[in-house]
Amino acid sequence: MPALGVELVDMDGTSCCGPFAIQSLDYTGWLALAARNLCIAEKMGLDIMALCNDCYESLMMVNQTLRTDKETRDKVNEILSVVNKKFKGTVNVKHTMDVLCDDVGLDKIRNKVAKPLNGLRVATQVGCHLVRPKLLHTEIGKGFEVLDDLVQALGAEPVQYDDKEICCGGPLRDIDDHLSRNLSNRKLAALKRANVDCVVTACPFCYIQFDVGQLEIKTLLKEEYDIPVLHFVELLSFAMGIKLEGPQLREHRVSIDSIVRKLA
Amino acid sequence: MHVVANTPRGEGVLSCIQCGRCAGSCPVGRLTVKYNPRRLVEMVNLGFKWEALFELSWLCLSCFTCIDRCPQGADVGEVVFALRSIGARDGNIPKGALTMARNLVETGHIVIPTASMSKQRASFGLPPRESVPEVAKIARKSGFSKILGLK
Repeated sequence: MPALGVELVDMDGTSCCGPFAIQSLDYTGWLALAARNLCIAEKMGLDIMALCNDCYESLMMVNQTLRTDKETRDKVNEILSVVNKKFKGTVNVKHTMDVLCDDVGLDKIRNKVAKPLNGLRVATQVGCHLVRPKLLHTEIGKGFEVLDDLVQALGAEPVQYDDKEICCGGPLRDIDDHLSRNLSNRKLAALKRANVDCVVTACPFCYIQFDVGQLEIKTLLKEEYDIPVLHFVELLSFAMGIKLEGPQLREHRVSIDSIVRKLA
Repeated sequence: MHVVANTPRGEGVLSCIQCGRCAGSCPVGRLTVKYNPRRLVEMVNLGFKWEALFELSWLCLSCFTCIDRCPQGADVGEVVFALRSIGARDGNIPKGALTMARNLVETGHIVIPTASMSKQRASFGLPPRESVPEVAKIARKSGFSKILGLK
């Protein structure tokens, strides 16, 4: 991000943002926990950039709810008073893709491409919570094409596939593993049919679901796909000529050697 | 029905017209006959036993496709949150969700890093992850800890 003119400042003392399993258990508790993170950013006077779709949507929902609903805001601030914090509603929550598209801009990204990814067939998985529900995202207005536009800006070819807008199955992990795997299996089969070089996600959870998921599916459902999975930021690094090394490459459960070789 | 409608995020049950557009849009519904979002709202409105509703409500992915397509703004994708929270008050929480929630309250993070994860963080040049005691204070004050069976 610094190479694109974005300075990132760590938020000290943040907790987990309250993904959907947490929201499900207690409405007010979730609002207060997520609002605590928002307060930290407010004190720094900086907007939040979330890499993860779940963090993004959770923080965004809480920010919007507390900005517009005074009764709930008072209730949450009463809870936050035990840690000497108060929600004011002064910062915005953005996803990394929002920052790349809106703040950096596609033109600047195109200019920063040192090694265009020509000939690379890329399928994109945006991840539900960057784009749905639509009503929540009216201000920024991202659709499923957001990642295709970014991939195209790097010189690669975005490939369409069946069920592109369907969930990866990740949220059911640890709740109903069987269903979760079957959902991914369907998507991976569609990706295979589309004959893609790799699938690129905007969400780290979709990334895990496809990457780790392929190993599980191989063992338990006896289906083998070998489709490399990358987070968009990794693809961006390749295009900008930033070398990924040792631990970053080893982290992939499905080898991405074929991509590294193709781009070498 | 009124209990659900009066729980945060549950008011949608009042405006559902049972058109079934959610059921046709649901990725879980494509894979299993167990889960049908239209039917779930119908069960709420007919007064089915809570136990049946809690279990079904946890099969929703929260992909929110149904919310984008509902012509009534009944938003069954939101209603499931009301159902789950009503269940949680009586201790009906799936094991996976309970572990995550307890981890969050006790450490500030839903996943407690294993030794290999900590080693991996170090290999990326990241500092060890610190716990966040303020979370427990907030959880106690809001009543969240009590729902989780914590002090």
